Amino acid sequence: MTVQRSLTAPLPADGIGPPRLLFRPSLNWSVNWLWAWAVPLALLAIWQLASTRGWVPDQVLPAPRTVLNTFSDLLGSGELWSHLNISLVRVFAGFSIGLLGGLILGVAMGLSPLLRDYVYPLFKAFSQVPTIGWLPFLMLLVGIDESLKYLLIAKATLVPVAVNTCQGIQGVPHRFVEVARVYAFSRWQLLTRVVLPAATAPIWNGVRYGLTHAWLALVVVELLASSEGIGFLIVYGRQLFQLDVVLAAVLAVGMVGWALDKALQRTEDWLLRWRKSGF
Amino acid sequence: MSANIHKNTLPPQLRGWVLPLALLAAWAWAANAGWSDSPLLVSPLAVWERAVLQVRTGELWAGLSASLWRNAWGFAIGASAGLVFGALLGGSRWFDRLLGPSFHTLKQISLFAWIPMLSMWFGLGDAAKIAFIALAAFFPVVLNTCEGLRGVPREFIEVARVHGFSTWQLLGRVVAPAAAPSIFTGLQLSLIYTWLATLGAEYLMASGKGIGNTLIDGREHLWMDLVLLGIIVVGLVGAVLNWTLATLEKRLLAWRDRTVARY
Amino acid sequence: MAHAATLSIKDLHKQYEVKGKPLSVMQDINLDIAPGDFISIVGSSGCGKSTLLRLLIGLEGDYQGDILLDGKRIVGTSLERGIVFQEHRLFPWLTVEKNIALSLLNAPLSPQEKAATVREHIELVGLKGFESAYPHQLSGGMSQRVAIARALVNRPDVLLLDEPFGALDAMTRAHLQQELHRIWRTEGITMILVTHDVEEAVYLGNRVVVMEPRPGRVRRIVPVTLPHPRDRASHGFATVREQVLREFAPQGAAELAEAPWKRELPSSPLSAWQFAV
Repeated sequence: MTVQRSLTAPLPADGIGPPRLLFRPSLNWSVNWLWAWAVPLALLAIWQLASTRGWVPDQVLPAPRTVLNTFSDLLGSGELWSHLNISLVRVFAGFSIGLLGGLILGVAMGLSPLLRDYVYPLFKAFSQVPTIGWLPFLMLLVGIDESLKYLLIAKATLVPVAVNTCQGIQGVPHRFVEVARVYAFSRWQLLTRVVLPAATAPIWNGVRYGLTHAWLALVVVELLASSEGIGFLIVYGRQLFQLDVVLAAVLAVGMVGWALDKALQRTEDWLLRWRKSGF
Repeated sequence: MSANIHKNTLPPQLRGWVLPLALLAAWAWAANAGWSDSPLLVSPLAVWERAVLQVRTGELWAGLSASLWRNAWGFAIGASAGLVFGALLGGSRWFDRLLGPSFHTLKQISLFAWIPMLSMWFGLGDAAKIAFIALAAFFPVVLNTCEGLRGVPREFIEVARVHGFSTWQLLGRVVAPAAAPSIFTGLQLSLIYTWLATLGAEYLMASGKGIGNTLIDGREHLWMDLVLLGIIVVGLVGAVLNWTLATLEKRLLAWRDRTVARY
Repeated sequence: MAHAATLSIKDLHKQYEVKGKPLSVMQDINLDIAPGDFISIVGSSGCGKSTLLRLLIGLEGDYQGDILLDGKRIVGTSLERGIVFQEHRLFPWLTVEKNIALSLLNAPLSPQEKAATVREHIELVGLKGFESAYPHQLSGGMSQRVAIARALVNRPDVLLLDEPFGALDAMTRAHLQQELHRIWRTEGITMILVTHDVEEAVYLGNRVVVMEPRPGRVRRIVPVTLPHPRDRASHGFATVREQVLREFAPQGAAELAEAPWKRELPSSPLSAWQFAV
């Protein structure tokens, strides 16, 4: 999640980043790491206690051991992996379609004011409806097979990618464009050597948003209209009142989401390695 | 750069209408010409008639107001909890140590994955839905509040200390305004996510009234006109929300647009 | 030694249309510049000196009159005319070396020749050792030197400089003025400098063109016949400087100050509020 920085804040004194307000995070990683487990372990202890003492019915809160067993069962039998696999394939397929569409649309609208005048209002109108709002409509149109998932995920990706790409291109400082004119760059050279590099940061921002929304859309559509996939696994567990299955699947969702965002962040760091943080 | 204006294209203000009107016309024509005899091909007129019917029977308002009410409650609870949690996370070293990593881990879980768990614990009624919406509101507010507090530059604190500000004065006159833009951003993001969560909650915990339920209803009965109406209403609410936020942001940005000498 | 060209400006007029009415920003500009000459242009804000430079570089067209380079009318931008802007305008995603090399993109040289001339020019501006640095790692003065190298690497016939040192501190400015002078002596390129610093104008130029605003016109051309390199503390220097400053007396020196630059706001990603999630 990007955060606005105040434009009136002065440059950081040591150039490393904004100085912390009340404390500098301790560099003693091992100590911090230990403390991070304090609360989770405490909660685990309470959980164990609650199930041993029978404070909560077993259906609502099964014992930690049961959950662990189910988890290893799911992992061992490969069931978790196969569901996860299906979900990942869907996400990547839908994301790729949406990414391509979003980039093309974004670049086109960013470069051509004429196209922007014609297309942008309709695009904006369509994007007022959140992805999830389109679900019943698409379900009526294409049923609940794979194309539903691809369409929804593609739509979820396309909007942020197109918006950020368009804005990124429009935001390329005019003074850079003038430099390209002074050195007699062709239109193609201008696009590839100046506009796209200058717009990389906002475009990549859009790509990251796009993947987050793609993953979000995937989970929703699998919760509602699927017979396999990680989202389905969650619903399945819920219907059988097996919290262990639900927890295992939710854990998987969290980890994949984290891994995807981390991968994109690493790529961004590499793409923008010329940039210093801050202003 | 050519200064010639093509005289045979429309003026900029009208260009945006071309595509939507063309689509509308194509849609109406396709419906009337009977392209397909699927019950899904409804005409724009049918959607309008359904809208009139829904308004007259009061159903539309009943659904919409139920959704908005849940949205408001969820936002209120989630955002206030988020402000407190975020302030603690940003301001207190111990709080950050103990709860920070757990929070950041939980944050990774895609929002809707929480619903089945919540429905197991809270049932399918309004309580569960509001709990989910509050959760959706919680995360962005925490993140941005925390960042906002942490981002207050040390230089500003030093100015306050040099002028002998008390802790309360420091917090109220320096920290709060400096962190305000970021906190406001968090609240804005939170509003967007809560509307999304409201819809999602109504789909996935499909009991009771709501605009999401209207959409589900339409799908189950294969009433495309109702579905389309629902989409339009959802879109309008989203548009109003986004427009409000854009206007608010412009006003906020106004005081930040300073003329700065370039060095 | 690069090839230097003769630049002739004849009866130059330029006007904009503001709310339907023509607004004349420049009129009756006549200037003949011999090859290898150094012209300084000074004037208060609004006298059109930057516009003049933009017309010369070809970033703006639509004027009445003639601008001739070696007898040929100029059309648009060309590698024969180089410019150094006030902001260095280096591309932040490229190193010093790549930034300078980029201006050779369309030059008819082999890759080895390009690499050689880039290296040469990095040395010329005194930045040897900084080839792999990124712009954010350089100081303002160093960045401007890279900009100068970038402008020179094409060996243009004319080098235009639009207040190149305006954004730098006084000591860096003095140092870079000396550097620019040295480069001019070495390369022999025709140079046209626009500045609001009268001392800089007298130090560097063989002629100081004083312009006045509304509409932009040449008020007076003050020849500077002092030998190079010039001594700022000498009596001759002070005399010429007084001559130029006297042209501004009615308006007062305050008019020479430039308005502070408006920082370009980064486009806010949250302006995408118009879009739902």
